[in-house]
Amino acid sequence: MSNIHGKAYALNTISPMQPWKTYILRLFFWFWGIYKPLGDGLKQLSFIHFARWVIVPRHGFPWLGEPQPKNDLRYDYLLFFSNFNGTWNQYIDAFSAVLYDGLNLIWRWSEKFPGSRPVTPFKNFIVRGQPETTYYYTAYPHATTNDVKAAHRVQAALQEFAKGSQGLPPDKFADAYLQFLMKVQGDLGETGEAPVGT
Amino acid sequence: MSRLDATDIQGFAVRGYNFPFARFLFLKILEGKKGRAWLGRLIAEITTGERWDHGKPKSTVNVAFTFKGLEALELPMASLMSFPVEFVQGMKARAPILVDKGRNAPEHWDVVWQGEVHAWVGIFAQGAAELDRRCLELLALEQETGGVENIGSQDAAALQINGQITSKEHFGYTDGFGNPEYLGMEKDSQPGQGKLTEDGKWTPLATGELLLEYADEAGELPVAPLPHLLANNGTFMVYRKLHQNVATFRRYLKEKGKLYPGGEEKLASKFIGRWRDGTPVELSPDKPDPAIMNDKNRNVNFTFGKDLEGTCCPIGAHIRRTNPRDAFGFNGRVINRRRISRRGMPYGPYSPEDQPGNDDGEHGVVFMAVNASIFRQFEFVQQQWIEYGNDARQGNDKDMLIGNHGGHGKFMIQGTDDPKNPPFLCGGLPNFVELRGGDYFFMPSITALRLIAEHAVDPR
Amino acid sequence: MPNKSGTIYGLTILSPIKHEGHIDTSHSLAIRKYLHKLPADGRGPFGKVSSTHMARLVVLDDVEYFGMPSCEDHLKSRYLIFESNFDGELETYLNDLATKASEEVHGIWQHCIGYPGVQNVPAFIAYMKRCQVETTFYFADVNDKTVEQTLVALQRQSAVASFIEKNQGKPPAELHRAFGEFWARLQKAPPPKPGSTPGKEFTDKLL
Repeated sequence: MSNIHGKAYALNTISPMQPWKTYILRLFFWFWGIYKPLGDGLKQLSFIHFARWVIVPRHGFPWLGEPQPKNDLRYDYLLFFSNFNGTWNQYIDAFSAVLYDGLNLIWRWSEKFPGSRPVTPFKNFIVRGQPETTYYYTAYPHATTNDVKAAHRVQAALQEFAKGSQGLPPDKFADAYLQFLMKVQGDLGETGEAPVGT
Repeated sequence: MSRLDATDIQGFAVRGYNFPFARFLFLKILEGKKGRAWLGRLIAEITTGERWDHGKPKSTVNVAFTFKGLEALELPMASLMSFPVEFVQGMKARAPILVDKGRNAPEHWDVVWQGEVHAWVGIFAQGAAELDRRCLELLALEQETGGVENIGSQDAAALQINGQITSKEHFGYTDGFGNPEYLGMEKDSQPGQGKLTEDGKWTPLATGELLLEYADEAGELPVAPLPHLLANNGTFMVYRKLHQNVATFRRYLKEKGKLYPGGEEKLASKFIGRWRDGTPVELSPDKPDPAIMNDKNRNVNFTFGKDLEGTCCPIGAHIRRTNPRDAFGFNGRVINRRRISRRGMPYGPYSPEDQPGNDDGEHGVVFMAVNASIFRQFEFVQQQWIEYGNDARQGNDKDMLIGNHGGHGKFMIQGTDDPKNPPFLCGGLPNFVELRGGDYFFMPSITALRLIAEHAVDPR
Repeated sequence: MPNKSGTIYGLTILSPIKHEGHIDTSHSLAIRKYLHKLPADGRGPFGKVSSTHMARLVVLDDVEYFGMPSCEDHLKSRYLIFESNFDGELETYLNDLATKASEEVHGIWQHCIGYPGVQNVPAFIAYMKRCQVETTFYFADVNDKTVEQTLVALQRQSAVASFIEKNQGKPPAELHRAFGEFWARLQKAPPPKPGSTPGKEFTDKLL
């Protein structure tokens, strides 16, 4: 299943937009670049490694000169690429449940967008415009973004503890070790295979 | 919304009966016409969701069907194919999703579950004699109409300890808390059962999380078979026979209890998130508290928002995994579509607490849960929250008590610098629970049962 | 700078795929076939270009038609979409692609219009940049750690969990000694290879 590598799913969507609407969307993205509600919402959901939106205007699909035929498109296109953890259904359910406003503001400019709630028509819309990923690679397939963040916290705490406990007598060391345990105790989940995709 | 028509819904779907004895009959439908004739007669025996204002019945009867059972009753093909795919496939085929592998794999199941079960008939009774009497009546009915055959049965009963009927299960935990509350159900409500609102209050879940043809938490109707009348007031039931390795559990608890500074009982409370008497750890971290336990306004009324570190109730504890409440943020909105109603009962004799207990033998829990969407509710919880831990930020770690560990895996108990509540890691987890069989069932409304019996299901 | 978030670069490249007169299926099919055979783990091209966190290739046959009242729209060429999330600067990355994964890059992009080959690295870089489209909004959950830092952190996380389990309840002097040995072994452990899955057996060996 080439959309999946380890615990990550490579979702692609493409949707057409009437060119005058593209300006409005660009404004929103510009706004969210500065004021962070979209980024914050995505961070809180904590199941996306990397995601991007790419607006390709109707004359923006690369044309490298003759003899390549020139495109003659009517619509601009919004491309979306996500690298997320969990199953496809789980991902869209979660977005529809908690980030529906943000999703609506991004996709309402696309043709025939049904709204992000209720979730079933929204899922049908995504399926319609979801080209399959042909090849997918991740450098840490057994780790979700939660696992990655936990690992960095453990690493930081470990470095701090190793440095700070140098030269301590055993009983003071044991105290410092307890403090270290308390720092990392929520971040010790094992990494491994992903659940079967559904 | 208008009140539900309780006379049309099977009682088992809307409430746990709380009767101490039960028997589940597993039937094969031998022939369509006679099978429908049997069903037609059975309808008169079915207990509905009506309140028992004039006294409890001595026993109750309910019925549900697998996909193969509906096929044997000759529902039209277009109707059959409109059922959700997980129900059509049946639980055995869903084993990879449910992580029913290794010791939980179908090849280790009871013989009856390795074959094809068509119908489940559930009988609950106030006494053992009444249970036998009611079953004999039903058997007589089967013989009269023909068309069905009993291919197996499962007895279940509340555990009796020192002659008292209890709501404990074999590991010694008091069970039966935390079933959700739904809009429109005439049921005593308890704060903490439903979902959280923006201002931290509890409110019932959408009816469509339990019953078909009602709005669900996503603001739409759950996937349901055609025609409407077949689906309306129906629900899906998951049946799983869970054998309990009591000796393994007691040995493990004793071993680790010696090393855990808080002691054995506190360790046991950390596994689940409740003390063995039922007191939620989140409300009483240091000791069981009968005052809280017996107060229905308190015993399910808590959240995890103030305990995100898990030092009170561990992040991976059983009740926290199966109902995270507000632990994932967003005021619990991401989890409202993942609730299930449990109707299970223990089976097999209780082994007294001072004994080492048994891994062999027939004892455990008959797990039964009802929900509108097996895929979105039960299967999700089983796959993502029991056999996996990413949503709880616990990586691949499984549910300590019922996870399919295979001897590996660990459970981390988060702690503080209080010497009685330290960080503590439980490793080398064995399978405390093993799956011995089960399947997915559709529990139709009374109207739908009539439609099926009269061969009048028309998908258009 | 919308292509970047912290130290991570979000590269989006749309390369038009060659036609063959009016029969243009053979090149896109050839790419699909080639990609199907490529290993998706560290032995593949992006394992070799090890600054890659995540990357994908999508053969886009055409844009999608969503139904009336929208009009049907069609691309005149198929496109190969390359989406990558990597550490560092664009020029370095494109250079690495051409030099460290030259066989695979050639195997894929030889089917694309205007591809100049990988031998002339500046020409290859210029060609890829011509096909680059700007990312409008980029999100990276962790945007300040490299691939190697992440792999090492994951290895350490697993090792720490094993250490905690093995040394639970030990008296202070023993714990102190065990940690010293553990720490020393960690320093010597080689970082895991990208695209690999070290697993518990690996970390158990550390103890």
